[in-house]
Amino acid sequence: MPLSPFPFGHALATAVMAGLLAAPAAAAQGEKKARQPSGKKAQRKPARAEAPLRDGDAERRLLEIYRLTAEGHARQALPLAERLVRDHPNFQLAQLALGDLLAARTRPVGRVGDVAMPPPAAAARPVPAQIPGISLASAAAAPAPQALPPAAIDTLSDLRAESRLRVDALKARPPQGSIPAQFLELSARTRHAIAMDASRSRLYLFENTDKGLVLVADYYASVGKLGTEKQAEGDQRTPLGVYYITSRLDPATLKDFYGAGALPINYPNPLDVHRGKTGSGIWLHGTPPSQFSRAPLATDGCLVLANPDLERLLKTVEPRTTPVVIARELRWVKPQALQAERQSFHDVLEAWRSAKSQGDTRRLLGFYAPEFQSHRNQDLQQWSQALQAEAQALQGRAVALKDKSVLRWTDSSDTMVVTFGEVTEGTRTGPVKRQYWTRKGARWQIFFEGVIG
Amino acid sequence: MKHASCPLSRLLRIATLSALLGMPLAHAADDYSEITQLLRAGKAQEALVKADQRIAANPRDPQLRFLRGVAQADTGKQADAIATFTKLTEDYPELPEPYNNLAVLYANQNQLDKARAALEMAIRTNPSYATAHENLGDIYAKLAGQAYNKALQLDATQANSLRPKLALIRELFSADAKATASKVASSTRAPAPAPAPAAAPAPAATPAPAPAPAPAPAAAPPAASAAPAVATPAPAAPKAAAANSAEKDVAKAVHAWAAAWESQDMNGYLGAYAKNFRSQNQSSRAAWEKERRERIVGRAKITVGISDLRVHVDGDKAQARFRQQYSSGSMNVSSRKTLDMVNQGGHWSIVRESTGG
Repeated sequence: MPLSPFPFGHALATAVMAGLLAAPAAAAQGEKKARQPSGKKAQRKPARAEAPLRDGDAERRLLEIYRLTAEGHARQALPLAERLVRDHPNFQLAQLALGDLLAARTRPVGRVGDVAMPPPAAAARPVPAQIPGISLASAAAAPAPQALPPAAIDTLSDLRAESRLRVDALKARPPQGSIPAQFLELSARTRHAIAMDASRSRLYLFENTDKGLVLVADYYASVGKLGTEKQAEGDQRTPLGVYYITSRLDPATLKDFYGAGALPINYPNPLDVHRGKTGSGIWLHGTPPSQFSRAPLATDGCLVLANPDLERLLKTVEPRTTPVVIARELRWVKPQALQAERQSFHDVLEAWRSAKSQGDTRRLLGFYAPEFQSHRNQDLQQWSQALQAEAQALQGRAVALKDKSVLRWTDSSDTMVVTFGEVTEGTRTGPVKRQYWTRKGARWQIFFEGVIG
Repeated sequence: MKHASCPLSRLLRIATLSALLGMPLAHAADDYSEITQLLRAGKAQEALVKADQRIAANPRDPQLRFLRGVAQADTGKQADAIATFTKLTEDYPELPEPYNNLAVLYANQNQLDKARAALEMAIRTNPSYATAHENLGDIYAKLAGQAYNKALQLDATQANSLRPKLALIRELFSADAKATASKVASSTRAPAPAPAPAAAPAPAATPAPAPAPAPAPAAAPPAASAAPAVATPAPAAPKAAAANSAEKDVAKAVHAWAAAWESQDMNGYLGAYAKNFRSQNQSSRAAWEKERRERIVGRAKITVGISDLRVHVDGDKAQARFRQQYSSGSMNVSSRKTLDMVNQGGHWSIVRESTGG
């Protein structure tokens, strides 16, 4: 029998979250096959197997609490919230949900994080008889809505934003089988790829299988305090572009602030350098002990993930070969849709390879842009000498491009980031090179080339 | 824990208890009322002695034990009181009242989870037990407050959100006692304008949330309940309005400060700062003013944009936090700024200026 102390208790909680989850109920339909049988399991599971350090687990549980609440099962949601908070006391959003669920048992809760006590709460008590002396005294104390300190008001609005973003990520799933348009071609040596959609505070992890890229997980992630499009050192923005993970940093060597560890990326990349961008030390890293996750806009430019999520990345991705695309908004396309683009750039690259194989330095030089710079800061003049020397050394032997990856970055200009092993005929291995091509009208030219391994 | 004794003594549920147990022995009833009188008169120590004496003769009598528990709580013997009520719940698991009082004791020790469990038991034994429902509501509110504090990373000491709820607990207990056992309740609140102490038949089962119990003490309670209902919103409104206009004044002062800066109006700019304003970087007011003049007067066109302005007013003090977009010539800096301001004779002046955060 429902023991609802106050008739409005759960009706109101429903109103709160219904707004939040209005659409996801529909979105969930699409996943019904997966969801339906696990529905019951989901409720039992946390009780039995507490596995707080599974990536994405805390968010799944939070969204389940939201869903139950939205469907009017606040009573079932409450114990789940209590368990989530017990497992992750530093998950502020879970604490907020718990606060709402508890508060909804005593007063109307109008929105997520309804922290302030509204004046009617005291009057709404269905207790008829009161002695004026007593009730007046407390009426003076109770109804004034709690003035939150300004810092807490900011925290609250950050938490609401985080909540909204997490729910939206559940609502708007990337179309099945589609990939971010930047991943034009990935070599089999690239085992994983990462893409960040800053507008959604969402980071996607892909596995590069023999059937192409497959989305395996996606996580809430924070970006710079002032958003994206990093230009300069200290501007508290996250860079936009195509990057690679350069190394894996052991948490033992890092401050607590970075949590489970860190994966630095190669900002500023040659395109950034070319554009005069400054700054350094852009990492994917975890969260400090006091916070399970950070506000959507919180970092000095890094991408910050919850520790369990970052741990999965640390365990999964390989430094040097794992690309990280950071976009304001990701454009998701079917891999087939990239076929024409891929082919036409393949032809460009093939022309370059053939010029190089034939030792035709004049034709080869035509592929290099006037503003070219090598990784040793050689300009085009010095580079042409290097090319000539290389041509002589090749003695007409052909070169082959192995394990080719092509990433496309389009903003005010159009850039291809090409990575390949350059293998000379008669040898089995060769240097790994990376080129940055820029499109000028219909023509592609190389503005950076270097050996990376 | 001064609250502890008051609510408990108001919680005496004698009529309820004896009715439920169905064993109102004549001689015992005298004992009960004597102890109750002592408790009501604030003579908890005497009540405890008396209860102990009577219990020596009737060691199992639940009524006496219940009263002893109240007397223990009133004399500050929290642990004893908890033991007494715990034992009662074991011996008489069907009685909700011992659970309820146990919960109040736990709540006073801030053991909210235990308090909650006890109240949930009280409700399970008697689903219409209004006191437990309301107490549970308060426990939920307190737990919600704790969760909110953790969510917002507030110190429990900093967030006073719990205090008003404690006051409410007190109020609720008294209100409920009145609704269910009006005789006891009304005389407990001695200074009240004496509602007729009719021994209302008010059965325990009557759910308090319904305005039903009103008829017994005649017109008094409706009037009483009407009063706070009206009174509640009334004081809030002007206060809110005042706060609102103060916030507007502060916002206006911030914009005036930025405008003076933009137009390089040094009198207006420096005038926005209180006399006792001290820069963190400059030793004296004069040195600071000189530095500001150098940095402002004669510069290329200055613009100072203000966005995300948040104002927090606390009496004569206020804090304005915003994002400041400063530009002059090729310089373009966006930063977070906090101005601490005070109201001096109706004029908001800056006493502290800090960047970042």
